[in-house]
Amino acid sequence: MVTVRLARMAMACRFELILYGEDAVRLRAAGEAALDEIERIEARLTIYDAASDVSRINARAASEDVRVSSELFDLLRTAKRLHRQTNGTFDLTISPLMRAWGFFRNTGHMPDPEQLEDARALTGMDLVNLQESDRSVRFLREGVMLDFGAIGKGYAIDEAVALLREAGVDRALLHGGTSTVYALGSPPEEEAWKVAIPRPDARDEPLALVDLRDESLSVSAVWGKSFEAGGRTYGHVLDPRSGEPVHGAVLSAVTAANATESDAISTALLVAAGTDVSDEHIHEDSEPIGIWPFGLEEGMRALIVVPDQNKAFFRVVEFGLTALESARQILVQPPSTSSQ
Amino acid sequence: MSDPRVLSRRHFLKKSSLVPLSSILGGFAAAEEAAARSAEQTVNVALIGYGQWGREIADTLLRIEEANISAIVDTYDVMLTRAERSLPEAARHSDYRVVLDDPEISTVIIATPTHVHRQIAVDALEAGKHVYVEAPMAASIEDARAMAVAAQNASDQIFQVGLLSRSHPNYRSVFQFIRSGALGKATMARAQWHAKTSWRRTSPNREREMEQNWRLDPELSTGLIGEVGVHQLDPAMWFLNERPSSVTGFGQIMLWNDGRDMPDTIQVIFGFPSGVHLTYDATPTSSFDGAYDLFYGRDSTIMFRDNKAWMFKEVDAPMLGWEVYARKDNFYKETGIALVADATKLDAQNIDPTEDDPNMETPLFYALREFFDNHAFGPYPPAAGYQEGFNTAVVTIKAHEAIMNNSRIELDESDFEI
Repeated sequence: MVTVRLARMAMACRFELILYGEDAVRLRAAGEAALDEIERIEARLTIYDAASDVSRINARAASEDVRVSSELFDLLRTAKRLHRQTNGTFDLTISPLMRAWGFFRNTGHMPDPEQLEDARALTGMDLVNLQESDRSVRFLREGVMLDFGAIGKGYAIDEAVALLREAGVDRALLHGGTSTVYALGSPPEEEAWKVAIPRPDARDEPLALVDLRDESLSVSAVWGKSFEAGGRTYGHVLDPRSGEPVHGAVLSAVTAANATESDAISTALLVAAGTDVSDEHIHEDSEPIGIWPFGLEEGMRALIVVPDQNKAFFRVVEFGLTALESARQILVQPPSTSSQ
Repeated sequence: MSDPRVLSRRHFLKKSSLVPLSSILGGFAAAEEAAARSAEQTVNVALIGYGQWGREIADTLLRIEEANISAIVDTYDVMLTRAERSLPEAARHSDYRVVLDDPEISTVIIATPTHVHRQIAVDALEAGKHVYVEAPMAASIEDARAMAVAAQNASDQIFQVGLLSRSHPNYRSVFQFIRSGALGKATMARAQWHAKTSWRRTSPNREREMEQNWRLDPELSTGLIGEVGVHQLDPAMWFLNERPSSVTGFGQIMLWNDGRDMPDTIQVIFGFPSGVHLTYDATPTSSFDGAYDLFYGRDSTIMFRDNKAWMFKEVDAPMLGWEVYARKDNFYKETGIALVADATKLDAQNIDPTEDDPNMETPLFYALREFFDNHAFGPYPPAAGYQEGFNTAVVTIKAHEAIMNNSRIELDESDFEI
């Protein structure tokens, strides 16, 4: 058994791929094809290149029906389903909001109220019309913009994994910027790949260890771009429904059968956890009964880190993913010692 | 039923027009252009070869309204399965002869391994189809010549080679710019392609895997100089307006010593009759500094990178005037003046000409757009027709020979005779 490791920069992060198999030359060739696929998808989805499919949709879909490839059409259909499934917390149309808050290529600022109102009017997957007959996209309002930032990485990983399978690879781990990972099979002599979720207060230490096999894991967190105003910190994760930055929840993690779903739902969960988490979810034994909240579906596992009601400490809310005992204790310290 | 090859405007613009019409059309307002095109009839296309590049072609054709992919041909069932997912409406075949027999299909696009271009292209031309064939056109001079002869004999049909820079507005605009003397006296040229990849493909099916790795077999393929270098050599021949008279090559396997015979690192010097030399290197062993092309002259140096162009002026060069207002980008200690195609057109549309054109498309789009314009308004000689395709094929084939023998080869005019 040999191991091959590959890495590639794409989608503004480092994709890393570890493969196990019998033949290093063939494993590398398969891995390179998988990483090429990620680059190909980036070229289609990026908003930073005027020639990309998405730039083309953004430039034209308000005034004409834009024909797209069946892959992109399927992805848009999936995005619409996930939007419904997550009660609107996952949304590909938040670009105008991101711009209003100054998070586009910048660290952010308080929005101009009028600009924010305009941006809110341009947000919502219901403004994106998909026409099945000719696989075309049409925006219902001028100024709507698609941005696949919250799902593109996961989708690219799924497509790359499909190519690995096609090439006969059955043991591999592929992650994009450590935020979304797919575990194909398991390492030799192991039942599953073991992946650590970092603690929001000390990112070198694990919050939880997750066993993955033919499954993906995505982690979303509010760290990254933020700014302070009036003694409050505003992060770059926005709630598409209110147009406001998510306040409160600091981390979410979700496992799913594919990376497209886990990528989208982890973002949605972070948004929902900041606003929609009620007391009943915060109870220690919050195992949900019947329907899973926040777009989670059967087979998925998740956890969120949210502030306690009196905001004195953070608490892990578990939906099938369990935090390490050591992390749990530290997280319940007051924020003065567990702050970001 | 009418012959599908006879297209509506064929007769008002005869072959006598040597100016590529699409360059005239560049002046049309977008709406007029769209109206003119939508009046055209649908062109039924068969895409032969559905590998990585074939998929790019298929996706790009979605942007060309009159192009309808009615069939996909590939000898590998995995590719046909992919085609089923991406283009459920298209027929799928493993034998290209089926589409040549189909009178509804007027046009074939060939994106197969290079060494099988000849058979398909010649058969397609003989079957009366319009042909777009990927570059390089061929991996042997005999094949290239057979294709050029077939194209020459089929003068009522379009034969375009996928030398993408020839159709790209940025390359076209720089071509004009160089012709108007922007370099001063051209003195030398340099180009590179650097990447980090084994350049190998794999499949669970060993026999198929052998076939997929045709690029690593020096008997079948011209390797890096043909499959990559052709797109950098061709603009050099175009801009310098001459064909190399010598080629000196070096090639060796420096990193990917995995059983292949094809060099993974090549360095080539092309000598031109004017005295200008183009030095070229390509390697998939190091990604440092990616890919670019440089044209040096007394007054300025022009660089192409990612299909965009910059000019670096010498301090003693005459003022052009407009460069004061142009966008500048810094490259370490040098300042590049961005050369934006159609700057005045952008200005007329209230788009700041110092920004990148928001309507910019991929190089493949421009090449295919030109191919389909030719269906509607031609046939006229494409920007990259059989002569251009043949010339670059000859040079890459000779370069490959030089690389394999670490030797120098002289080229003369008779090498370029079809």
